[in-house]
Parts: sequence; C-alpha cells; structure tokens
Amino acid sequence: MAAADILAPARPRANRAISWLVFALVIALIAATPFLPNYHVRVLNSLLIYVLLGIGLNIVIGYTGLLDLGFVAFYAVGAYSYGLLASPQLGLHMPFLLILLVGACLGAVTGILLGIPVLRLRGDYLAIVTLGFGEIIRIIINNLDWLTGGPQGIARLDKASILGIQIARPIDFFWLLLITVLVVGTVVWRLERSILGKGWAAIREDQDAARGIGINTTNAKLAAFATSATIGSIAGVIFAASQRFVSPESFTLQESVLIVLMIVVGGIGNIFGIVAGAAILILLPELLREFAEWRILFLGLLMITLIIARPAGIVPRSFGPEKLIRGLFGK
Amino acid sequence: MTLVFQSLRKVYGEVVAIDDVSTSFAPGMIHGVIGPNGAGKSTLINMTAGSYTVSSGSIALDGKRLDKLKKYQIANSGIARTYQNIRLFDQMTAIENLEVCFYPAEVAAAWREVIWPPYASAQRRRRREKCMEILRFFDLQSYADVDAGGLPYGRQRMLEIARALVTNPRVLLLDEPAAGLNHHETAELTAKLTALRSPERIMIVVEHDMDLVMTLCDSIVVMHHGKLLFRGTPAEVQASTDVQLAYLGTANDIDDIRAAAQDRRAQLGIRARRRS
Repeated sequence: MAAADILAPARPRANRAISWLVFALVIALIAATPFLPNYHVRVLNSLLIYVLLGIGLNIVIGYTGLLDLGFVAFYAVGAYSYGLLASPQLGLHMPFLLILLVGACLGAVTGILLGIPVLRLRGDYLAIVTLGFGEIIRIIINNLDWLTGGPQGIARLDKASILGIQIARPIDFFWLLLITVLVVGTVVWRLERSILGKGWAAIREDQDAARGIGINTTNAKLAAFATSATIGSIAGVIFAASQRFVSPESFTLQESVLIVLMIVVGGIGNIFGIVAGAAILILLPELLREFAEWRILFLGLLMITLIIARPAGIVPRSFGPEKLIRGLFGK
Repeated sequence: MTLVFQSLRKVYGEVVAIDDVSTSFAPGMIHGVIGPNGAGKSTLINMTAGSYTVSSGSIALDGKRLDKLKKYQIANSGIARTYQNIRLFDQMTAIENLEVCFYPAEVAAAWREVIWPPYASAQRRRRREKCMEILRFFDLQSYADVDAGGLPYGRQRMLEIARALVTNPRVLLLDEPAAGLNHHETAELTAKLTALRSPERIMIVVEHDMDLVMTLCDSIVVMHHGKLLFRGTPAEVQASTDVQLAYLGTANDIDDIRAAAQDRRAQLGIRARRRS
C-alpha cells in the first residue's frame, strides 16, 4: 500500500511535501482558469457545485452517520427559489443575494421538515424514506404546472448580479463558486471540530450511548439536517443562476446517488475526500468524452479498482484541512 | 439526599423483571447489587439511567423524579453509567470520547466556536486539559489519541468509566465493570473505584465477581427473581445463610453447598444417586 503511505504522511516532512504539492496544484489550476476556454470553465463550475453539494450531504452522512438518499430535494428547493423569484414566471425580479438568503432559509426549513418524521429511523429505513422524500419534491415540481411550469421548467431567468457587478460569464460563476466553496467549506470544517461536531460523531458511533452522556439527539440531528439542507439549497440557487433555466430533470434520484457516491469514493467524513470524489466522478466523464460509450466502462472499472484498493475512500480520514495547514505553515 | 426507588416494577408482557422494589442509595458509599443471572440487576440500572421505561413506581434523586424524563435528561440530571457490553464511540479517539461529554453544557455556544477561532481553540484546549487529567487518573494518557475501538479490552473498560466521570456525576452506575478483566486488571479497577468514592457521590456497582464486590462495597443489595431479597454490609451478606445457599453458590465452603443441596433433595423426596 505505497499509495496509502504517500497519502497518509506519518512524518511531518512527508506531510509538508504533500501539503505544498496539493496547495501548488490547486493554486496553479485556479490561476490558469481565466485562460481556459469557456467549456472547460463550465466543467470546473459543475465540479464546484458538486463539491458544495458533497460538503452539505457529508454533514448528514459522514459526520452524523445518517444515510440520506433524498438530498437532491434541497438542491431543487434552492434552484426553484431562484427560478420563481427572478424570472417572468411570477413577475418577480429579486436581487441575487436576497434570493440566496431566502433559498438558504427555505432549505433549512425543508431540512427540518424532512428531519422530524425520520428522527426515529436509521440505516435502510432512513435511506428509503429520504429517497421517497426526494422523489416527492421532484414529482410535486413536475405537476405543479401553474407555479413551476411543470416538466417544461422555468426559462429566461434573470442574469445574476451582486452589488451591481454582473455575474454572467462562466468565469464569473467560477469565482463566485470558488468563494462560496471556500466559505462554506471553512464553516463546515469548523463546525465539525466544534462540540456540535463531536456530538454528531457520537450519534454516528452509538446513538444510544450518545443519549447516555446527555446529548439531545433530536436537536443534534435536526441541526445536521438543517445545515446540510441549507448548503444544498445555496448550491441550487447558484446552479439556477448559472443555467438561467430550471426543470425537474436536473433533480432526479440519480443526482442524489451521484453525490453519495462522490462522498464514498473520496473518503467519508473528509472535506478533501469530497473534492477528490467530485474530481473523479465529474471531471473524468468529461475528459473521457471522446471515447463516447466506452467511458462508462472505464468509469465502472475505475470504481471497482478503487473499492478494492481503497475501500475507505481515496483520501485518508487523517488528511484533513488541519493537517494541510500544519504541513504548509509548520509547527 | 439520596437515590430512592419506590415500589418499582418492570413488566415485559407477562414476565415480571422487577417486582415491587423499594430501597434507597446514600451518597458517600459504594453500593453493590448482586444476584444470579436474570435477577433483574441490569434492569434496575437500565431503568435508573432511562434506557428502559418504568412500568410503575418511581425513581427520584434528591426528591426530583427521574422516571418520567428522557434518557438524555436523566444523564443531564447527574446520572452517568457504563454498559455491560462496552459501548464506546469506537471511531473517535480516547480523548474525544471524553471531550464529547461537554456537549450538553456547551453546545449552545457552538456557533461561537465556528465564527471565532480564538474562542474555539481556547475551548478545545480547556476541554482537552480537563479530559487529559481524567485519562491520567486511569493511566490512559498514552492512549489519548488512539481510536477507542482499537484499545485493548481492559483499557476500554477503564475508558468507559473515565467517560462516565467527565461531568462529575452525582450518581455513577457501573454495570459489571470487571467482566472480562484478568486478576491484575480487576485489582487495578478496585483501586481506582475505591479512590473515586466521595462524600457527594452515589456509586452503584452491578457485579458477578464476588471478591470485588466484597472488598469494594460498603452496602450490598441482593436481588432474586426481580425482588429485593436482602440488604446489608458485605459481612452480613456473607453471613446470611439465605444468600449463601441460594445465590452466592461458591460461598465459603463447597461442602456447605453439598449439604444444603442434599437437604433440599431430601425435602423433595428425591434420593441422590450414588456413584458406584
């Protein structure tokens, strides 16, 4: 397992090397992005949206240990918030930042509404009920023609602008998404390290023992659902603004499964794992586009290899942001 | 200022697990609960901690009813426990297992930890220092950053007791703390538990290891078929023929047991088959 040794540096020196390598690669990629053709920037944007979704879903799956298969519902709530509040559909043209706030709040409320009925469920049962919830939201959107435009969706969404600066080109969205991912990622990472994050981990490990040390598991789980849904919804708002079109087709069960897969392939519970998982599952199909139908086969083989070689995910749990910072700035 | 059980009952369908138990446990002492398998010892602990509901009767600590509270509320009322089958948070480190116990007191300020890094690191440092102190008491400091699930069995037992102590609980419930420990570890456990005796703390130990119970406990409750059979000091329990015959089994002298068994057979009209 040479790869594992490189990825999980035990010695500070190795950690330093890896950290600088990762850091340099990311900076180089970011610096090069403005010079890339629009198509490539769009692929990177889609990657960042999935990273955002992964960070959100990971709170529930990775930290709290609850298998949620209906995450795409919150993504849809955010996207349709933008679709309805910034389009000719209802004649409303609210500013982007306000919708971001409204979408985040709606996401949190939806998260709690889903959370309450599934509080007592775990494992397979939870997965089935959340899966159903995701489908319910999609089917409602599909059938509520007068409001959501049904299967045709909502077109001609407003161009987004923040404080007078128009966000329209793919590269504008790249910067917006990059900042959002950095902010959300930092907040979530700090949450994980806070006492609330420890409580989530305790629930994941043994819910009953967690109650035994005085954790109100109801509130802790609802906090996890709400935070996770808020992030999903934020991703949805940005997604809708960048597509300037929303339709139920973007919010199928397949999307939920893809996000779960990203988390599992990358390494459950680790923010860097999500980036790695998204890179593989979002970038690879694009890079392999010229191989047409062969790419699904490639992807399948890669997944099998990964599951055999690194069943706990590509990035080891120990290599998180903390380790990167220590590697970069010493101590 | 005690833990009081009043006409406590626990019924599963038609099976009566705890049958009208009324007793009280005073602070400053280590109370042992003994009895054969199925006597209801663990049920008693589980009801006190809120893991099981109470069928009828009441449990009160310092006059405050516990039996209607949720499990986490009971824990926050100052009752901590360990489990018969160790239940640690396996994929968290030893010290994290302890740190998470600050959750009930500090979760309301979690948002400050998120937005204000200096506050967060101060909190983390304070939690770690306090937990390190407890780990040191149990000689677990070298395991602080090892996943709890990877610790040797005996260390896991100790860590579970350490976790129960983080919040400095009024009542400490220990469900078979010596189960699976070797002689050396049991001696270590006895020393630690003795040192934990404090004037404010009520300690209740359910245990099968009679040597441990007799050396450790100040007062012993003997359970049988869900009923409270006998209560007294270790000496009184040992002297009680009832207890000796029916429950301790090993007693002082194996011949006593044989004689008692023969008496019983004679009463029942059964003749012991003679070996040829």
